[in-house]
Amino acid sequence: MGEVLTAGTLLGAAGGEGGAHGASYEGLFVYLGIVVVILFLFLANAKQGLNNRVFKKWTTQWTEQLYLFIENMTVGIIGGHGRKYIPLIMALWMIIFVSNIVSLFFPTAPTADLSFNLALALISIGYVQWEGMKANGVAGHFSHFAGPKLGGGLVLISLMIFVIELISEVMKNVSLSLRLFGNIEGGHQAVVAMNELGAGVYIPIGFFLLPVKLLTCVVQALIFTLLTCVYISLVTHHEEEGHEHSHGELAGAH
Amino acid sequence: MANQKSSSGLPFPVILVIGIVMMAGGFYVSKNVHIDFLTKLAEQGISLDPGKTISAIGVLLILFPVIRSFYIGPLGDAISGRTNELERTFTEAESLRSEMTQMRSDYERRLVETESAAREQIQSEIRKAQELRGQLEADARARADEYLHKAQADIENEKNRVINDLRIHVVDLTLGATEKILGENVDSDRNRKLIAEFIDKVEVPG
Repeated sequence: MGEVLTAGTLLGAAGGEGGAHGASYEGLFVYLGIVVVILFLFLANAKQGLNNRVFKKWTTQWTEQLYLFIENMTVGIIGGHGRKYIPLIMALWMIIFVSNIVSLFFPTAPTADLSFNLALALISIGYVQWEGMKANGVAGHFSHFAGPKLGGGLVLISLMIFVIELISEVMKNVSLSLRLFGNIEGGHQAVVAMNELGAGVYIPIGFFLLPVKLLTCVVQALIFTLLTCVYISLVTHHEEEGHEHSHGELAGAH
Repeated sequence: MANQKSSSGLPFPVILVIGIVMMAGGFYVSKNVHIDFLTKLAEQGISLDPGKTISAIGVLLILFPVIRSFYIGPLGDAISGRTNELERTFTEAESLRSEMTQMRSDYERRLVETESAAREQIQSEIRKAQELRGQLEADARARADEYLHKAQADIENEKNRVINDLRIHVVDLTLGATEKILGENVDSDRNRKLIAEFIDKVEVPG
């Protein structure tokens, strides 16, 4: 690390190589540090309100509502066993949301960096695979990639399905990370472009995009976590189906 | 937090070590590894640095359990504790309500029983009073009859006594008058008897 780090190189790290809007390595982690500080200041404030029977602090009330929302989402999509994923989904939601909010007030943000979004996606999909292997076993999990069991020469089709499913799993990372990056970075570029339009008359036209960007911040955090829930549901629902099936058989036998 | 397990089931110190190694590895990759494909991608406006990705994964691996144990866990505990407390309160309220309903029905049953007992007691007392009244009336009537008979007997006796006295007096007067007329004593038992028999014959029935 031979270069000298300044606030300008860190915070104003926009326009890296090739004109991309992502931050430098150091810049990304400075912004990540800002996100972590904001998040923990908020959570520390909210934590003070946990002692009361009725949450009176607005920060605690917000996080409570978020918790209940995430609980409804996970239980609704994954099922009753989805409660155990609430901490991960809620942490993901908060990190993505605060990162998106940072992008409203700073030149860039962690979620405006494809590398960071790819890290989020890899963790999300990696966790999904881990849960799938825990639920179905390693062989069982990967055998699902091959589709229904086919015999004879049709094994080739199973092989093709396996390869396609494998590519599909890899593409989930790409779609998750690119979607988030495109929305946040696209919002940035739109604000910059509109500000340039109004630069002649000294009107920051891009400012008027803030409500839309705020909505984008919420929606993108929601979409990322929602898709994570769906992916978890896809790899763990066989377990419940099997249970229900066996329960049904038992009921029928009785 | 050291003893806590993350969502993946690994203990936190292991995750911490993995995270730190990934951060260091990511830093190394970012500074020393250059891939032509990524350079071309960056030239087209999409900057992707695998070093940043690896380091970010390391940071996030540490961050998730920290956030979980710092806030999400206590929040979940507080919410579930409050929910349990509310459920317990509702259960207690329901139990108290059923107990109150039971007490109310007991009270109403006892009230009905008390009213019935009071009614029976009142009827019994009324019957006793009526019997007593009849008995008193009969006693009074008997005593009145007794007094009446006694009074009638007294009157009869008194009347007889007065009649005898009157008869004696009339005989005396008659004899006195006869002596005056005849100038001699006619007072003898035989004359007195004759006069008394005469008076009895002329006596007007009473």
